[in-house]
Amino acid sequence: MITVSNLHKNHGATRILNGVNATFGKGQVVGIVGPSGSGKSTLLRCINGLERFHAGEVTVGGVTLAGGPNPPPSETLLRLRRIVGMVFQQFNLFPHMTALANVTSGAVHALGKTRAEAEPAARTLLERVGLADKADRRPSELSGGQQQRVAIARALAVNPAAILFDEPTSALDPRMSAEVMKVIDDLADDEQFQTTMVIVTHDTAALKRVADSVVVLEAGIVRHAGPVDAAPPGLID
Amino acid sequence: MKHLTAALLLFATPLVAIAQEKKSLRWGTDPTGGAPYIFKPPGSGDDTPYIGFEVELAEYLARKLGRQSVPVDGLWKSLPELLDKPRDGDKGIDIVLNGYEDRKDLKEKYAATIPYYVYRLTLIARRDNAEVADWSSLRGKATKGIGVLGESAAAEYAKRLYGETAVDESDDVANVVGRVNDRLMTATVQDSPAAVHFIKTNPDLHAVGEGRQPGFYTIYLRKGDDALREELNAAIRDGLKDGSIQRIYRKYGLWNADQDGLAFRHNGDWPTPVDQDEIAIQPGDGGIGKLFPQLLRAAGMTVLLAVASFPLAMIAGLALAVVRVYGPRWLAVLSAVYVEVVRGTPLLLQLYVIFYMLPKIDPMLALEPLQAGILGLALNYAAYEAENYRAGLLAIPKGQMEAALALGMTPFTAIRVVIVPQAVRLVIPPVTNDFIALFKDTSVCSVILITELTRKYNELYNFNRDLVVQLAFITAGLYLLMSYPMALLAKWLEKKAKPT
Repeated sequence: MITVSNLHKNHGATRILNGVNATFGKGQVVGIVGPSGSGKSTLLRCINGLERFHAGEVTVGGVTLAGGPNPPPSETLLRLRRIVGMVFQQFNLFPHMTALANVTSGAVHALGKTRAEAEPAARTLLERVGLADKADRRPSELSGGQQQRVAIARALAVNPAAILFDEPTSALDPRMSAEVMKVIDDLADDEQFQTTMVIVTHDTAALKRVADSVVVLEAGIVRHAGPVDAAPPGLID
Repeated sequence: MKHLTAALLLFATPLVAIAQEKKSLRWGTDPTGGAPYIFKPPGSGDDTPYIGFEVELAEYLARKLGRQSVPVDGLWKSLPELLDKPRDGDKGIDIVLNGYEDRKDLKEKYAATIPYYVYRLTLIARRDNAEVADWSSLRGKATKGIGVLGESAAAEYAKRLYGETAVDESDDVANVVGRVNDRLMTATVQDSPAAVHFIKTNPDLHAVGEGRQPGFYTIYLRKGDDALREELNAAIRDGLKDGSIQRIYRKYGLWNADQDGLAFRHNGDWPTPVDQDEIAIQPGDGGIGKLFPQLLRAAGMTVLLAVASFPLAMIAGLALAVVRVYGPRWLAVLSAVYVEVVRGTPLLLQLYVIFYMLPKIDPMLALEPLQAGILGLALNYAAYEAENYRAGLLAIPKGQMEAALALGMTPFTAIRVVIVPQAVRLVIPPVTNDFIALFKDTSVCSVILITELTRKYNELYNFNRDLVVQLAFITAGLYLLMSYPMALLAKWLEKKAKPT
């Protein structure tokens, strides 16, 4: 589903990613862990083209982004992003839209569906994340955990083949974190749900519960990739 | 020591003596009024002295009084007010000498000399315009308007003769004549001295019909300045008798039978009424009740200008800001240049360019005053709104754009549905603030012949000087009445649009 090969990314003289290789299969739930500054979030942002990289390739569902000095063609970026969804650490909901409008925004403004076409599915998704009754609320009227659940519903609403979670719980207190992880848990457990999920997180306990495999990054290098249980002791605590 | 003092005194004495013997005659004038009253030959430098028939008249009078002529420049319509101020000081004057008509309302407040010139109102049109054969043929046919000097007797007369809507008032007579010459205006009514000058300098123009509504130019001075007044009167009488004034007027082509009459009259009683025209001008005859509806109508024009131009300014400003923040580099640079140029030059100048200069480039670009006013205000305020919106766009967190792109929106869609709606809400306070400012800036449109509230106030004030306080309060009140609801609307919008 997602193949990352020999990815290099510098920030000035600092090397952020130093030849990263990774493969995430269809329907897999993969965790990316590592100390702060190891390049976890950067890797995730490179996968959907929010961040440019200097060398290497990212291929998602047949669409390939190549690193280099020139920005990737906007057509390629658009195709890629319609395959990959993303959930952000700071939720990034659109504050001027209701929860429902946030969830339908991708279908309406990226896929060109009408509001009427998009709304039934959006309501189902809101129900799935437990917020059916908050459809008409603005983000400012929701708690952090609720906002992040709306953000997950928003990412799901365009039926992506993969979803990238960038530290989805680190801005939340433990109780709200648990709310959000439960939603991700449920998705991982759903046999019907064949979306690849890549989760960058510090919450290793939760990760052990949901992830099929894990990638451990350290200073821009992959230290381990494989089943969670097979990780050398001490890498994941 | 004693010797030194003596020496100093010796040096100082002649200076003091000269200063004493050359007392000055400070006369208030407005050089922007132009030829043939007071002007400089085209292309002359800063140190070139003014010329003109009034300049030479003032020099003649000063000579007769044993004084030195010192022109003091001021705004034409407020020259008489300079007499209310101290005589010495930067703008202190002894007399007002600048084509001021013999007016009842002014003579109530100030003393006046005997007239020094008889003018007539002259109708000027293009020679090839057969439609304009005489004064009456213009009735209902002045499709492109009749230009006049704002707040002058010519303005009053033209309005009474042709109706208010047919008459366009301007402070810049030369530009009005230029528009007649360029076929952008049907005709203009000018005092005869100005008319003589303009016909001489524009071969395509001619005077139509007879000179009408004769009147006197007179010199105003402080009440109680009787000695000065008598000296001036004697000097005018002598000058008319011995031909010195005639020589000055002839030099500018301004001597005619009317001036002969003036010379004759001044040796008998004065003033003798000259022939009465069909319409008599009686300045200052309206009470405040008659003036208020006029101010109200003018306020309507102010509202129209503001309400029509501001939405255009918002749209253009938003486009400029989006292009500056998100557009390709060359477009962003163009947008920045536009903003700096427009912000860095006066609105007055921009209106001039749009209204007076564009038609000179291509006659197709000739705009009606109202169109030019709305366009000018919109283009000007677009620059300010662009900066407001730019601030709004830059204040939206980066994550908003990223979230929109991650959903698969194109950058353009992301800007349109995610960024701009938030940015616009964010800058509602400064934008409404500018709208209120625009209400007041509409007054600048009077330079392109639009009669809005401030211009109307000036006009009414000029002929109703006894009501000046009431007029000022009503005008200020009307502005407040227009801008305060805007402030309320702004507050309401702010509350309603608050996203968090």
